[in-house]
Amino acid sequence: MAKEIKKPARPEEPDLLPAMGLFTILIPMLLSMTAFQKLAIVEINMPERSMITMDNETPPPDEQALNLSLAIAKSETLGDYLVIGARGGFQPNVYFKEMWTFRCKKDAQLITHDPEKVIADAAAGHGPKCKDGSEMDAEKYLYEIETIELWAIDKQSEEDPGRVMWAIYTSQGENVPDSVYVDGNNSFIAMPGEGPMGLTPPPALKKPSPGVALATLSPNSARTLKPDVANSNIIYPLSAYDVIAKDLIAIHTQFIDLEDVDNIIIVADDNTQFDKIISLMDRSKDAGFVKVNLAKLGG
Amino acid sequence: MARKSRKYGEDVPFSLTSMMDMMTIILVFMIKNIDAEGQLVTQAENLILPVSTSKVQAKEVSLTVIVDKGFVVIDNAKIVPTEDVLNNEMEVDKYPLAKIDSVLKERRTAEQEHALKMGLPADEAGNIIVQIDKNIPYDAMYKVMAVCGYSGYTNIAFAVLMKNGGEE
Repeated sequence: MAKEIKKPARPEEPDLLPAMGLFTILIPMLLSMTAFQKLAIVEINMPERSMITMDNETPPPDEQALNLSLAIAKSETLGDYLVIGARGGFQPNVYFKEMWTFRCKKDAQLITHDPEKVIADAAAGHGPKCKDGSEMDAEKYLYEIETIELWAIDKQSEEDPGRVMWAIYTSQGENVPDSVYVDGNNSFIAMPGEGPMGLTPPPALKKPSPGVALATLSPNSARTLKPDVANSNIIYPLSAYDVIAKDLIAIHTQFIDLEDVDNIIIVADDNTQFDKIISLMDRSKDAGFVKVNLAKLGG
Repeated sequence: MARKSRKYGEDVPFSLTSMMDMMTIILVFMIKNIDAEGQLVTQAENLILPVSTSKVQAKEVSLTVIVDKGFVVIDNAKIVPTEDVLNNEMEVDKYPLAKIDSVLKERRTAEQEHALKMGLPADEAGNIIVQIDKNIPYDAMYKVMAVCGYSGYTNIAFAVLMKNGGEE
């Protein structure tokens, strides 16, 4: 009788049912402990109680103090601007154009609009338009604002409406800017845009090639661009927050020996949105001004 | 050649391997997002908090004041409409700030009494967390903040959303 050839034994699958049972218990437990959006706090400094009574004479102003303030203001003639003040003087105004970036619920795409146009359209019963042509809710569009951007404007004179400045940014996708690049002289790689208000990126502004040495505003961030990073960089309007952040870092470094070098007063007018105050507080704290006070413009 | 007919009656063993792969991916994702310390502050409804680079987390449970488009809310109780705060002058002894002040003072007194009972210092500055919608004007925020300070809550912190969900 011919000997039957024995088929190789099929490897037996391990019994996965107990592991599945464990996973089924673990997943709901971890789901209850997961935080998809983490909350943090931003602390502010309230004026400390003074021990001086009303009978005492007011102490003379300390001429050695920095007395740094950062104001966000709006003027009918000048438009919107940010300005840093210290020791009774002011740095040049940083003019900006406010823009609102929405994330449409329908197509989940980001789209940036001029707030003046959005408000005018909403008054006429139309919500901001999405990329797919659909409209957002005209009453609840404020809840769909993803970011309030302040685009820095280059003005040649007070009467000049100015042009939007464009710069090179790192990006993690979706054409959303992350950190702005500065060159070896600590200057932004930026140019004013073309067309009305400079809303078109300048053709002369090119993305840096791989191998170029650049830095961001973060400390010790100098790097040689790798090909994948160089490809992901974007040309985007320069943020007025970044212009202010660069100035604040320079001031903090220059006056590091002064006693009040960690103090800053953020001054704003009544209509400034809370989001802008938090953004300015972030930039101030990142620059080293950890004791933030708040004040009202002209109040 | 005759086609071999499929035997539908035959028992096919249920393979759990692909299910295990899926579960492992979900498990890793969950562990990555786990917050073992827990959240002492939870976001209120009807408002969008601003995004911030701050990574400072609340260290203890504090009284929370919420300012959304509709109302100023303290401990889930609507106190005054936000519109009234915006339309009135910055006078702590008049409506609507006086109403917020009285509620806050009541809470502060209760906190101090509790601290005394527990043998803790009662004269320390009170801690308060303010949650404000990112589109609320500075005027409302400033008035609420001033009332908090006036009522004895001088350690004020604003609740914000961590940038990129708190990831580096």
